[in-house]
Amino acid sequence: MATKALEVPPQPYTGEKARLTRAYDYLILVLALFLFIGIFHLHMMLTVGDWDFWQDWKDRQWWPLVTPLMMITFPAAVQAVLWSNFRLPMGATLCISCLLIGAWIARYFSYHLWNYFPINEVMPATMLPSALVLDAVLMLTNSVTVTSIVGGMAFALLFYPSNWPIFGMFHVPVEYNGAQLTIADLFGFQYIRASMPEYLRIIERGALRTYGQYATPLSAFCSAFLCTLMYPLWWYMGKAFATTKYVKNI
Amino acid sequence: MSVASHDILPAKAAIKKSGLPWYIRDLYIYLLTFAGLTVIYVGLRSYQGEFGLLTGLDSSEPEFKTYWMRLLYIELGALALVFPALWGYLWFTRDRNLDAIAPKEEIRRYFTLTMWISIYTFAVYWAGSFFAEQDNSWHQASVRDSPFTASHIIEFYFNFPAYILLGGSAWIYARTRLPLFAKGFSLPLTLAVFGPFMLMIAVGFNEWGHTFWFREEFFGAPMHWSFAIGVWFGLGVSGILLQQVSRLIELLDQIEDAP
Repeated sequence: MATKALEVPPQPYTGEKARLTRAYDYLILVLALFLFIGIFHLHMMLTVGDWDFWQDWKDRQWWPLVTPLMMITFPAAVQAVLWSNFRLPMGATLCISCLLIGAWIARYFSYHLWNYFPINEVMPATMLPSALVLDAVLMLTNSVTVTSIVGGMAFALLFYPSNWPIFGMFHVPVEYNGAQLTIADLFGFQYIRASMPEYLRIIERGALRTYGQYATPLSAFCSAFLCTLMYPLWWYMGKAFATTKYVKNI
Repeated sequence: MSVASHDILPAKAAIKKSGLPWYIRDLYIYLLTFAGLTVIYVGLRSYQGEFGLLTGLDSSEPEFKTYWMRLLYIELGALALVFPALWGYLWFTRDRNLDAIAPKEEIRRYFTLTMWISIYTFAVYWAGSFFAEQDNSWHQASVRDSPFTASHIIEFYFNFPAYILLGGSAWIYARTRLPLFAKGFSLPLTLAVFGPFMLMIAVGFNEWGHTFWFREEFFGAPMHWSFAIGVWFGLGVSGILLQQVSRLIELLDQIEDAP
């Protein structure tokens, strides 16, 4: 029986062509590292901003809502390119790793060394566990729909338990001049910031306290719901930006 | 007189002397540019660390004019020289006979374009990540009393123009040296360069907003979202990657493999 030519799989490059493509990979890696640190970090600081900057902004109402919702954006867009075109299940992990590198450098050199904020007051939150799960769900299901629903929800719901071991110690109560505060609050009052009026308006609204211990899971589930919508939105934004069109006029 | 592709190639002896494979002939220039930019950015950050709290807190003080406004004028002067020099060089040394380009030379130019974009993203890192978040740190410690603060003089008036310079250079390089990019405007490359360029324009909106109230400095405020939207366009780099990979596969099929 004759073998059809089409059944022979394409052979990988060898020799110089293999070295050339490997060199190109390295160039792209360097490019991607700085690109995603630069653009994802700026996106994060201008949307999540203070909730990630400051220990005392890491509250029960907004922090678990805003952070995953804004952090699922670039991972979805990058997954749309890396998974669809290259079968690389690492878009989310790449983005979040780049973000953390950029955030930690800035917190140490800019906040701590230049303006003397204690590093404990300005530690960034992590979403690495969420990103790993998001990548794993996409890889295992190869489905935007399932990843939106299961991955998006997991991305948001894992946020608080992933971060609580890091930040919980700053939210224990202390007595200070006869008033009850948390350590995080104490940071805020000891290191006065120009944004204090905004801080007092936004954090820990009175109504939140009526929900007691339920505020955090409510915020997390609200974020999970919104992440299921945000994920496909940014997946298709990523697809749109990855256009290969050449146009006649700009 | 027109300049053909082979006219702007260096002599073979020069290629051999560098010891680099033909496709990454510009590697040393690329690494030197990284090193040079790092020296500039670290130098500027060190200057801030040395003189920020000493002389940068009050724009009405004479020291502020000496240490900070003078730096601003130096930056603007340097940029006024480098912009036309670099873009002019790229334009006047363009390849005027792109139809005659050999596959190997086109592959090499794709590598060089990738290096240009990589340098661009390096500048985007300093402007979009390091100095941008540092801007928040500074304005928490120092109430702004001028659009030219010790932070803004570097972030807005050096870093933003610097990445525009490098992004524009990548765009011009592609447009003048690669056939596909010369025949039509690459939409993702244009988005990836012009979107972040809009951050410079958004500075006007930002400073206008800050005239209403100190707003020091709720960083996630809607007033700042125009910066965020501009930077989303950086995702266009993925489209450039796809354009490049498609073309590189075609070109690699046209050349013989070597051991």
